[in-house]
Amino acid sequence: MNLPDESAIKNIIGHEFPGGDYAIAHWENFLLTECTGAEALPDGLAHPVSLFHVPILGAGTSIGEMFELGQATSEFSIGIESYDWQIYQSLREELNYQISGSVVSAERREHEDGRIFDRIAFQFDLAHQGQAVARTTIVWHYNRGVR
Amino acid sequence: MSVEPGFEIPSWEMPSVSRERMRTMAAILRDPNPVHWDHELCNSLPLGIGKRTINQGPLGLSYMINMLHAWAGPESVRRVFMTFPKIVLSEDAVTAKGVVTAVLDNHVVECDIWLERAGERLLEGKATVQLDN
Repeated sequence: MNLPDESAIKNIIGHEFPGGDYAIAHWENFLLTECTGAEALPDGLAHPVSLFHVPILGAGTSIGEMFELGQATSEFSIGIESYDWQIYQSLREELNYQISGSVVSAERREHEDGRIFDRIAFQFDLAHQGQAVARTTIVWHYNRGVR
Repeated sequence: MSVEPGFEIPSWEMPSVSRERMRTMAAILRDPNPVHWDHELCNSLPLGIGKRTINQGPLGLSYMINMLHAWAGPESVRRVFMTFPKIVLSEDAVTAKGVVTAVLDNHVVECDIWLERAGERLLEGKATVQLDN
């Protein structure tokens, strides 16, 4: 079992991503919305499914970097616990969103059957011209195997 | 729109989860996880899913958002909290369902929402929805 030191996992709490800006392009929203099986939304609205990748990329990180930050042993070792998307304003195409993100919790846990995992939570905030637009929280399990 | 707790939200169906859409999604998300696009690798993993690929979590979640949009409008969703107890696979026929659990002030409702395949719940969570938007 590849088990990172528990203190190293706890040490990523508070890690802040660089932050940055992100505008959802029309083509991007069109393709994403099509992936969901829905028709394009009216009036330049962006489908809320954007609230997964826009915060991540806009904060200056990536799914791959988030895997590495928690010392994932492979892409297959990641499990999703939950996604929490709070939407204060509807997302729109071509607006420039300011995005920040950080690791808000990281702890080692064990399933009843002895499997070990590290539970890591990331939180991202989106704003436009100083007004909060959305907050997303991603909780992933970094599965380590049986002790 | 006037609803009471227990109101069943009209369901939304995805007749067949598309592996091509997973590939498009993976490219846009910069998602390096090959379980979403490499069917040979999926076949080699001890998951018992054969050559079917695994749908991205946000895509499964989006089917429930589509249900809420169809019911209450494209700017109605205020919050979605989703858990992922089971995986959604390519070629799955899935249905998004929901029920109103509470009616709050200002035409806001709380809902239980879930995604099911042949009656089995794959994803489940909660949503806050603004009605009359």
